[in-house]
Formats: sequence, structure tokens, C-alpha cells
Amino acid sequence: MSVIDILFRVDEVCKKYDKYDIDKQREQNAYGDDAFARVYAVVDSTIQQALIKSEAAAKESNRAVAAAWNAEVRRAKGRLMDEVPKLRKLANKKAKGLTKEDIAIRQDLVLALPERIQAIPDGITSAASHTGGWAATSAHPHIKFDSPEGPVDSDYFSHSEESSQFRNEYEMRKLKQDEGLDIISEGLDTLKNLALDMNEELDRQVPLMDEIDSKVDRANSEVRNTNLRLKKTITEMRSSRNFCIDITLMCVLLGIIMWLYNALK
Amino acid sequence: MNRKGVHKTRRPRNQYNTTMASSDPNKLLSKADKLTRLSLTRWSADWKTATVLYEQAANGFRVSKNIEKAKTAYEKASQGQQMLSSPWDAAKHMESAAALAKELSNWREVADFYQKASELFMECGRPQPASDALAKGARALEDTMPEEAIQLYTDAITILEDDEKEQMSFDLYRAVTSVYIKLEKYTDAASSLLRLGLAADKCNATNSQTKAYLGAIIVYLYAHDFKQAEQCYNDCTQIDAFLKSDHSRCAGKFLSAYTDGDVDEIKKIAQSSAVSHLDHAIIRLARKLPTGDVSSLKAVTAEDDEEPLDENDLT
Repeated sequence: MSVIDILFRVDEVCKKYDKYDIDKQREQNAYGDDAFARVYAVVDSTIQQALIKSEAAAKESNRAVAAAWNAEVRRAKGRLMDEVPKLRKLANKKAKGLTKEDIAIRQDLVLALPERIQAIPDGITSAASHTGGWAATSAHPHIKFDSPEGPVDSDYFSHSEESSQFRNEYEMRKLKQDEGLDIISEGLDTLKNLALDMNEELDRQVPLMDEIDSKVDRANSEVRNTNLRLKKTITEMRSSRNFCIDITLMCVLLGIIMWLYNALK
Repeated sequence: MNRKGVHKTRRPRNQYNTTMASSDPNKLLSKADKLTRLSLTRWSADWKTATVLYEQAANGFRVSKNIEKAKTAYEKASQGQQMLSSPWDAAKHMESAAALAKELSNWREVADFYQKASELFMECGRPQPASDALAKGARALEDTMPEEAIQLYTDAITILEDDEKEQMSFDLYRAVTSVYIKLEKYTDAASSLLRLGLAADKCNATNSQTKAYLGAIIVYLYAHDFKQAEQCYNDCTQIDAFLKSDHSRCAGKFLSAYTDGDVDEIKKIAQSSAVSHLDHAIIRLARKLPTGDVSSLKAVTAEDDEEPLDENDLT
């Protein structure tokens, strides 16, 4: 039996005997009556996942993957912030089996939630350090391009020296790129104009080529006819020349006969 | 091979015959004249031999650089060919005569000869060489008799357009435009460019068409006729091909720079690639823009903008 078969079998068996798994059942039914507890548990687990993801993104060297993960973390944070008002309402609801202290505790938990959510790091800190490295400067762990909403401190947006230097470099590089692109675009313009002119010239020459084609065809057939006639005439001539040769040879023969006759006489 | 009753191949007429008496071309000429002149002893002119003699005489004169006589000989040869009803040869001789007349700087004769040659070509039913002959004549006369040259060019263009060969007429239109610009007749130049655009439209040569329209607008601007230029631009934008092209954007930029009175902007646009691929005569004009005072234009257009607003207020 292969490994995959074993795995499938194990899964099936577990599924069959799930109803005897006390811990799992307790987990599933634990918050069955208590809406607040259920939602709070979900929010908690989401926060944990987001924290894990952001830590992994910070460690990730591939900038694209890190950016994607950070984006997901940010999305999760947005969703969590939406859940917070719901939780607040649920916390104030009275449920059976809950003491006053429990309700107070729940309200505190809900209040603590927003801070916990905002605390999840989602900036492009690792990317910033990367570009810093590319520009051959030290890492800039405090630079964030997407500042999350929330309380804005008075010196939240103050430029550190490193950040302003980085910004200047960024602007310079952008300008150089723009210049390069301008030159490329000029070259492409020239190419385009040349290509369009060539296109028109070729269009102009197409009917001329057609005319040449037909004229050459005509000339070709005429030459062929002339060749045939010439051949016929030549064969005629040759045969007449053969005739001449005949006559000449006959004259020679007659001459020889005459000479013999004279000699024998 | 030639001995035995084979039909002697006909020698082409124009070939310089060295086996005949390569005598003085003058003698040939006088001999041919004698053959053609009608007198008591001669009741009908023998054009066949005469033409042959005339051609030989003409070649002989050309070789000995006697241009005047060569020209007369070619004329007479052409006449002879006409009598023998072969207009093609006649036209060819006329063209040679005209080329020699050009060397003699006999401009009137040049024009006449080329026109005659073109007529003979049309007789053969070959409009292309006809317009070529007229174009050659016009080119020869560009500097000395520009009006005549324009006339010849226009005739050549008409011949081609009648034959529906507009593609060939582009070069002629451009030549006409450059002659007009040299004569400083800017409205005529612009109108010839617009006709170029029309011809290009018929054969779907959109690039030439848009270049022609941009050129026309630039010529109007050079003549400092802003209203005309704007009107021309509005007319041309009716045409799809122009509207979608780079050249119309460039023209729009020109006009807006003029209304803003921004000289630097105008100079910058004149350096752009859309302008640099036009005809060189037009590029020269564009580089010299703006002529005259652009700020006055700005004031004029500002006033024009205010008046309609007032009318709207009253109504």
C-alpha cells in the first residue's frame, strides 16, 4: 500500500470516530450559546494569524512576496477593525451564566482589541531596508509608506535625517529615469515616422510592381515566340545547308570521275 | 548566317548607325532638309529617310557638342516621327530637344517643348510619361519662370489625377508648395497642401495626409493669419484620420501656445518630432515661428472671449 492510500484511510477513520473526540466536541460546542465568545475567539485567532504572517513577511527576502503578505495583513486588520463594534455590542448583552464581573471583563477585552489590532506590524519596513541597501546606505527600519489610520502623534510625521536623505535619492533616481525615458521616446518617435513613410512608399510602389509584372509577362511570351520561330528557321537552314553539302560533294564526285575519265583516256 | 535568305532583322531606328557614311552631321542635315522640302521635282516629302537622317544628324551634333544644331535636328526628327504617326518616338525626340534647350537656357522653348512632348505622350495613351515630361519642365523652370513652373506642375498633377494615380502626385504637390513658399504666396501654398491632403485621403495614405494638414496650419501661422489657421484646424479635425493622429495634437498645441502668447512654448513645439518629419521647407518655416507679435494675438483672442460672455449676460 502506498503512502497516499494510508493517509486517505487514516483520514476516513478519523472522520468516522470524530464524534468520540471529546476535546474537539468541546471546542465546537463550547461557544455554541455564547455569540460573543465565538466571535471573540475568531477575532483572536485572526489576530494571531496576522501576527505570524507579518513576522514571516519581515523575514522574507523576496520583496514581492513580502509586499503581498503585508497587503494581506493590512486587509485582515481592516476586517478586524470592522468586527470591533460588533463585539462591543455583544459584550454589553447579557447572556445566561455570566456574572457582572464577566461582562466587565468582556468589555475590557473589547476595548483592548483595537490597540492589539493596530499593533500588528504591516509596514514595508523590510522593503525599505532593501532599497536602503540598494542605495548603499544603512537600513531604515522606521520608514513606513502606508501610515495606518489611528492616533497621530505630534512627531509622527517628522523626518528623520535618514528618511529625508532617502527621499532625496529617490527623487533623483526618478528624475534620471525620466530623462532616460524621454530619450527613448524621442528615438521611438523617429522610428515611427520612418516606418510610416516607408509604409507609404511601399504602398505607392505596389501598383508599379503590378504593371512591371504584366509587362514582363508579355515580353516573356513574345521572346518565347520569337525563339520558336528562330529555331524553326534554323532547322530549315541547316537542312538546306545539308542540301548544299550534298551538292558540293556531288560536284567533287563528278570532278573525280572526269579526272579518272581523262586519265584513262 | 545572314547570307542565305534569312529576313534581315530590322535595326532599331534610334541606333547610331556607324556603318552608314558617318559624314558631317551638317551634310546629313542638309540632305534630310532637301528630302522634305517640297519643290517642283518633289511632290511628296520622303519623311521616312528624312527622319532617319535627322536622327543621325542630331546624334552627331550632340557628340560634337553643337547644342543649337542638335536641338534643331531633334525638333525636325520629332516632326518627322509625327508624320510617320509614331507619337512615342516623336515625344522622346521632343524631350531630348527640350533638355538641350535647357542647357542653352532658352526657357520659353523649354516650356514649349516639354508641353509638346507631354501632349504627344498623351496621344500614345501614356499619361505617366506625359506628367513626367511636364514635371521635368517645371523643375527646369523653377528658378527662372516660377509661374510657368507652377502651371506645368498643376497640369502634371491634373493628368495623374485623371488617371487615378494620386500616389505619384504627392511629390508634385510638394514641389508646388515649395515654389509657392519661395514666392511667399502662403495662402496658395496652404491650399496646395490641402489638396495634397485630399489626394492622400483618396489613396488612404493617412501619414501624408496628416503631415499635409499640419503643414498647412503651420503655413497659415507663418503668414500670421491666426483666424485662418484656426479655421483650417477646425475643418481638418472633422476628418477622423487627422483627429486621431499625432499631428493634430501638435497643431492643437501650436494654436493653444499662440492664444497663450507663449513664445518659448512655440519654439519647443517646433522642435518636436512631429514637425521635424515634415517637408524641409515647412520645417524652416516652423523654426522661424512665431512671426510678428504673439502677445497682440493674445489680447485679441481675450477680447473675443469676453464679448460672447456679455451677450449671454444680457440674454
